[in-house]
Amino acid sequence: MVEANGTLIKMEGVKKVFLTDEVETHALEEIHLEIKKGEYISIAGPSGCGKSTLLSILGLLDSPTDGNYWLNSQPVAKLTISERTRIRNREIGFIFQAFNLIGDLTVYENVELPLTYRGTSAAERKQKVQQSLERVGMAHRLRHYPSQLSGGQQQRVAVARALVGDPLILMADEPTGNLDSKNGEAVMELLRDLHRNGATICMVTHDQRYANFADRTIHLFDGRIVEETQEAQVGA
Amino acid sequence: MGTIRQDIRYGVRMLWKYRLATLVSILAFAVGIGVNTAMFSVAEAFLLHPAPFENANRIVALVDSRPQQNIDMNGIAPATYFDWQKEVRSFDRLGAYAWDEISLTGDGPPLKVQAFQVSANLFEMLGVQPQLGRTFVSEEEQPGKDQEIILGHSLWEQRYASDENILGKNIKVDGKNYTVVGVMAKGFDFPLPAEAWIPLAIDAKNRERRDSRWLWVLGRLKQGVSFSEASAEMKAIAQREADAYPDTNKGWELRPMPLAQFMTGDITREYTLLLMGAVAFVLLIACADVANVQFARIAGRTNEFAVRAALGGSRWRLVRQLLTESTILAACGAALGLLIAQWNIEMILSHMPADVAKFIAGWKTIRLDSNAFLFTLAVVVVSGVLSGMAPSLLASRANLADSLKESGRGSTASRARGRLRGALVVAEISLALVLLVGAGLLVKNFQGLLNVNESYSPRTLLTMNLTLPDTQYAQPAPRLAFFEQVLQRLSAVPGIQAAAIATNVPYSGGGGVSTDTFSIEGRPPSQRGELRNAIIQTTSANYFEVMNIALRQGRMLSDSDGSDAPRVAVISESLARRYFPGENPLGKHIAVGKRYAVSGPHDSDLEHPWMTIVGVVNDVRYGWINKEYIPTIYRSFRQAPRYYTTILLRTSGNPSQLISSAREQIAAVDPELPLYNIKPMDRVITESIIGIAYVAAMMAVLGGIALVLASVGVFGVMSYSVSERIHEIGVRMSLGAQTTDIVRMVLRSGMLLTIVGLAIGLPIAFVLARALSSVLFGVEAADPFSFIGLPLLLAGVAALASYLPARRAARVDPLVALRYE
Repeated sequence: MVEANGTLIKMEGVKKVFLTDEVETHALEEIHLEIKKGEYISIAGPSGCGKSTLLSILGLLDSPTDGNYWLNSQPVAKLTISERTRIRNREIGFIFQAFNLIGDLTVYENVELPLTYRGTSAAERKQKVQQSLERVGMAHRLRHYPSQLSGGQQQRVAVARALVGDPLILMADEPTGNLDSKNGEAVMELLRDLHRNGATICMVTHDQRYANFADRTIHLFDGRIVEETQEAQVGA
Repeated sequence: MGTIRQDIRYGVRMLWKYRLATLVSILAFAVGIGVNTAMFSVAEAFLLHPAPFENANRIVALVDSRPQQNIDMNGIAPATYFDWQKEVRSFDRLGAYAWDEISLTGDGPPLKVQAFQVSANLFEMLGVQPQLGRTFVSEEEQPGKDQEIILGHSLWEQRYASDENILGKNIKVDGKNYTVVGVMAKGFDFPLPAEAWIPLAIDAKNRERRDSRWLWVLGRLKQGVSFSEASAEMKAIAQREADAYPDTNKGWELRPMPLAQFMTGDITREYTLLLMGAVAFVLLIACADVANVQFARIAGRTNEFAVRAALGGSRWRLVRQLLTESTILAACGAALGLLIAQWNIEMILSHMPADVAKFIAGWKTIRLDSNAFLFTLAVVVVSGVLSGMAPSLLASRANLADSLKESGRGSTASRARGRLRGALVVAEISLALVLLVGAGLLVKNFQGLLNVNESYSPRTLLTMNLTLPDTQYAQPAPRLAFFEQVLQRLSAVPGIQAAAIATNVPYSGGGGVSTDTFSIEGRPPSQRGELRNAIIQTTSANYFEVMNIALRQGRMLSDSDGSDAPRVAVISESLARRYFPGENPLGKHIAVGKRYAVSGPHDSDLEHPWMTIVGVVNDVRYGWINKEYIPTIYRSFRQAPRYYTTILLRTSGNPSQLISSAREQIAAVDPELPLYNIKPMDRVITESIIGIAYVAAMMAVLGGIALVLASVGVFGVMSYSVSERIHEIGVRMSLGAQTTDIVRMVLRSGMLLTIVGLAIGLPIAFVLARALSSVLFGVEAADPFSFIGLPLLLAGVAALASYLPARRAARVDPLVALRYE
């Protein structure tokens, strides 16, 4: 249930510290963040500033060392692994820089995967996969394997997989990082279309051109939010 | 269900993708599961249903044992049996049987038949019915009314051409007329290996005897009475009898046991369990091999599992996916394994001589049946889980955020995988070593058993048995005349160098030789119930020469020790050591049997006359079961001619070629006398030790399989380790490492695992060997070949398995390797 003021994600004082060989690395410090439903935000910053770590925590792939995190009004900072897995499956859609399609599954099977884990019936799965692939213009490649597709096409399939479970929010980690500029543009257009149709998107990018597609950009430096800018008018 | 189908479909796809790894895994499973299924079929036949009778579960065998003398199973005295019939409450029936051998004459060539004297109720107790006619009635247990016979199916088929009208006909049994009253159904041969049954009719004198234990007693539990309740009752009765009759019963312990256990026997049971343990070891090694292959495969699939987890795949679903794959591997292995099992069983069945197989309870039922299939199915599931659990748990624990990054190599997971794979190889080496040492001990022991008999050149010795019927040969004189004539005739046959007689030859009767009580003049038993037992050999004077038994003291028996000469005996060294320690046994007097009066005129003088010890000879091993020599008394056949005897012919060439000549010569003396067990001595020996030969051969094969599987494990781990360290190897080489340095580095890792495995395996093998030697007959714990040679062999094979990947590592081009990341 989204809060009355429309807040989908809320973070307060989130920290992340990595311990490696007795060395502490402070990846995130005192992150305060709110994302409203239907918002398209980008997280920008130089390499090593903590963008991906923040996205991992936002996407429940990792948990914060300290601080509070509410997703859809539910505190999620201290959930068990299986609870986090369930929420990831039902409420979050991921798009990765490296696409992360499973090479031994067909396009159809890759997109079907989140629904399989959810226990959706075969008939419903078929219908939703079809719809999702049609939304990204890949319905004609159902039986292909990822290796038979171009990078842009693979990322479209990854977007279809992220959309297929009707998540509350799409988390995109450098979605254009492995694409040439033409395919990168196309994927960004696709995300903008989704946003226009109501999707909430949170995207990590180091490329200012693509950051400008978002309504709002959060700038990270050395694990802290140093600036927030409204970019809606630029990308619109 | 649909998602399981998805898992299976994807699993098959992944296994097809990594075809070489799949093939190696399937082969490892096929061997592991195949030997387990085959061994289960054997164990099922021996241990689960060796007694295929309706009432088998309610039948208890009541046998005596004497732990101090290592006597595990002995019959019961008739007086005890009749006492029990009056006293027991736990059984609704008590029955008994006794071994007997009968000669059939008159309907064709004379034939020796393995018969049993059985109580009238035995068949009814077991719940079996004859195919024709009836079983015995209680009146037929009276001496004089006992001349009825029931024929076994094979005997009826072969000797009487399946004559449907045979009931009521008279046939000649040991020269007397017996009426055929029944024919048993096909396959019924209890007690093994019965060919015919006659009534157990015990005369009044024998009914009172407590010192002669020749009856095998069975009881059928009353409804509602458990085995343990009945055992407790019978042990209490046995204790009361020991108190009441200490001279005959003290020192004996009643040992009730279920019929199946009685029929299988302790030795078969122990060796079957040993082999079951050995095949389980092989399966564990195969599982470790497959687990190692799985580890290698999942290393390349880290990203896939991370994606699945990111998209909501629970840990259980990821584990299930991998377990599905390992179970598919196990199922494919099992399909091939069933073929291996069938082949294995055929090998086992075809190499067992019929003369031995007929004594083994359950042998006829060894086959791949539905239980074997169910067992295989269970093994598939267990193997799938065992081999897949560790890799799948590790794969499902991978760090998601790291694994999803393009360059994320999951170094922590990689290290954990490396440690687990190393641990698996260590376990494989340890298990393989234990198996190899076990196999080494048994093979060594088997070789020893063969070598010990070389002293009497068994390949040029022909043996045969005959039993003189008491109708014509009731008196000693005709028996003596028969043997004198036979020996004279046989000695004259060209090709026969010498003809001798003895009661028993070593290793006959499966190696289980019977002993009798004997007495020493002037030396009553030091305590009541003390047992003085020895093998009593009644021989011709030349027996020692024919068997190459050396004289240690005094003289051998001679042809002049005739029926009118003073009675003499030769004893074995072990008897001299045990009963005449520190004194000269020559001139002392001993008697066969128990003399109740030690001096003065007595019936015992006729029945158990004193014999003067005139010589001491070397000991002879009579079977592989007994570790220690059994004291033996030799007496002259001229002074005590027996009914049952063994004829030995020393030949200049192949002894089998003289069988027909020997038959002719014996038939010329008595044409009605059947000869049986006509075999060269080397065959007598091999048949006697064929059980241990089977176990040794199977252990050797299992040890070999373990060696191969363990080396595959070492090879797999080192190969994978090399491919994971290609970049590191490139860096080392660019910094100046020589190829020998790289080879040494890889070899060192492989040998470290091997040494740790050997260090763990050796003490386990030693403890197991000690345990085996105390539990199993024929196993010596300390053997340098097994404890030094075999670990070195295993280390050598492991070194070779490490060297091949090491050589590949040394050929790495540093330029290529540095780009490998």
